Amino acid sequence: MTLHIVNQSPFSSNALQDCLENFAQGDVLLLIEDGVYALQGEFFRAIPGARIYCLEVDTAARAQEATASAKPNVEVINDIRWVQLCTQHNPIVSWFR
Amino acid sequence: MKFSLAVYSAPYSAQSASSALRFARVLLAQGHEIYRVFFYCDGVQNGNSLTAPPQDETDLIAQWQELQRRYHLDLVICIAAAQRRGVLSEREAKRLEKPAANLADGFELAGLGQLVDAVAHSERLVTFGG
Repeated sequence: MTLHIVNQSPFSSNALQDCLENFAQGDVLLLIEDGVYALQGEFFRAIPGARIYCLEVDTAARAQEATASAKPNVEVINDIRWVQLCTQHNPIVSWFR
Repeated sequence: MKFSLAVYSAPYSAQSASSALRFARVLLAQGHEIYRVFFYCDGVQNGNSLTAPPQDETDLIAQWQELQRRYHLDLVICIAAAQRRGVLSEREAKRLEKPAANLADGFELAGLGQLVDAVAHSERLVTFGG
């Protein structure tokens, strides 16, 4: 199962779109940096039921805590959980273009 | 678990350069091993000793160096990417007849093969770019 990491806003980059097109059953998505702006849209309809995580510091820095908690399948995680996710998944694919 | 990191972004240009450093710190604090950090493309600027950020801002280069000393990290800068962007060791500066060298202590220049080697010898590769 792949851990996909997206660090670009879906409003300024195709990174999330490219990621979602390559998303397989059982994969998980982690939003970091500007990637957390994806919480504002309805992008995750393409991956129903998938586990979606967003990094706490980046979510807070962009005032997206409320949008994160409003989405039922999104979990806000700290850096230690980020490391854990990386140990639990292989490969880890970063989408930044 | 044995990790390697690939850093493609320059400090102060993209947040991913500082995310990489933060991730490395958390990895090590959690008892994981970092086999190598490979700096590629604009990421080679992370090894430029001539950066001089204001005192009240994070000095990413100094923090990588500190982490390198503490954990004996293998910080490798892609030599071809570094030559194009003006990050040179003493030896390279002499060989290329350039007036100065600026490769920061704790970093090494090597070829892209070292990234392949890192992938082969690590259980996980995490890439930071953008």
